[in-house]
Amino acid sequence: MLRLRGLSLRYPNGKLALSDFDLTVAAGEFVVVLGGNGSGKTTLLRCITRTVRPSAGEIWLGNTDLCALEGEKLRRARLALAMIWQHASLVRRRCVLSNVAAGALGRHFTLRTAFGGLPAAELGAARSYLAEVGLAELADQRAGTLSGGQAQRVAIARALAQRPQVLLADEPVASLDPEAAEEIMRLLQRLARTERIAIVCVLHQVELAYAYADRVVGIRDGRMVFDLPRAQVSREAVHRLYLPEAA
Amino acid sequence: MSVDLAPQRAHGFGAAPWRRALSAATRCVVALLGLAIFIQAFIVVQARPQDLITGVHGMADLIRRAMPPDFSQLPATLWPALQTVDIALFGTFVGIIIALPLALLAAANMTPSRVAYYAARGLIGFTRAVPDLVWALLFVTAVGLGPFPGGLALGVHSVGMLGRLFAETIEQMDMAPIHALELTGARRIQVFSHGIIPSILPSLLGITLYRLDENIRSSLVLGFVGAGGIGFQLLTAMNLFQYQEVSLLLIIIFVIVLGAERISAELRERLS
Repeated sequence: MLRLRGLSLRYPNGKLALSDFDLTVAAGEFVVVLGGNGSGKTTLLRCITRTVRPSAGEIWLGNTDLCALEGEKLRRARLALAMIWQHASLVRRRCVLSNVAAGALGRHFTLRTAFGGLPAAELGAARSYLAEVGLAELADQRAGTLSGGQAQRVAIARALAQRPQVLLADEPVASLDPEAAEEIMRLLQRLARTERIAIVCVLHQVELAYAYADRVVGIRDGRMVFDLPRAQVSREAVHRLYLPEAA
Repeated sequence: MSVDLAPQRAHGFGAAPWRRALSAATRCVVALLGLAIFIQAFIVVQARPQDLITGVHGMADLIRRAMPPDFSQLPATLWPALQTVDIALFGTFVGIIIALPLALLAAANMTPSRVAYYAARGLIGFTRAVPDLVWALLFVTAVGLGPFPGGLALGVHSVGMLGRLFAETIEQMDMAPIHALELTGARRIQVFSHGIIPSILPSLLGITLYRLDENIRSSLVLGFVGAGGIGFQLLTAMNLFQYQEVSLLLIIIFVIVLGAERISAELRERLS
């Protein structure tokens, strides 16, 4: 589903943020990326979404190389790629249902949706996505009134409304309490299984990676250190990712 | 037991005498400077307070002649009063239409290029720098006497304030939901209508209501240069020494200004 081949990113100041990175994530697979601060985890996701342009390499989404696309073609290709962040990034003054349905805007460009109207065909689906994340009863509530955990689940529902093949998550539980964090991880794991979405999730919580990931990828100084099924990932290998100097 | 008084000495009662003297001298210089500025203003405006005392009789005579207000003229003043309010409404509406796209170009986090940013900022600054009375004179010359040039003048002058405050509001908004919408594949206009507008709408409405309130007050004066409304009627009545009509018009102006101010304040409070 998602294949990265020799992905590299060098910043204008010469710093190599990502180096020759290879990764394949199949449909329905839940991959967790672990690494210390500044190791290149978020940069990896930013490259995949093409928020930044990689210096070299390929990003294959199905049969499309995102690196070869620009403008409208890139926008269309990105419809299959959803993203959630540490903070839910909802439009706080709109209701929960509007926020979720907004995830489908890219597929519906009409006069109505251009001027603030929601795609009518998507409202029913948006309600079902909200039900899927367990928040159907909050559909009409203003997004700004939600708790952190609820807001993150709404962000996931918005990602589902996009009907993605790949879901990227950048520290989605970093600002949540342990119970809410477990809830979000269970939800992501279930979505990977039931919706057959390929999920790449950047985390700092090693225990959550052991509990929910199918595969764990270790990254350090922009290079992949390991890419293993979670059962084969040793505590020592994970520990080495966070050491100040390379072991 | 010993107590360290060093911090207090540095700032307060224990400070060195030379430091206290310096502080007193600085205060003295600042006070003298303030006094000098006030005196020069007094001289430049050729202030003559005694003239106020000798002129009290003239003012009292004028007020006596303006009483009682001539309420028989009330029906004839309603149309100009409506014109005055509508000049402000029209001007505010024109101002929003021009200011909103300009504000997007003039907001550092939205502008497509530096050239567009500086061009939009320059245009906004220019419309603000030229007073509304000058704009009114220009538009009276262009389209003739009446309320239309008044509305245009207020519209163009409003761009200055609305554009600047709209741009500042856009610059201060949380960009995370906007980036999130962009990454869903939404088009620019959809990001604008579904992300930007809902995020900043209450602030934009508050600024607009404040401007409308200002424009109502400005539209009263624009009549003095032939741009219609109740101001034109006030000028005519004063030129014809119809002081009782003048007092009626002043009462109507007072009601309009106070009413607009109260409604604007009430709505802005509800929005916040």
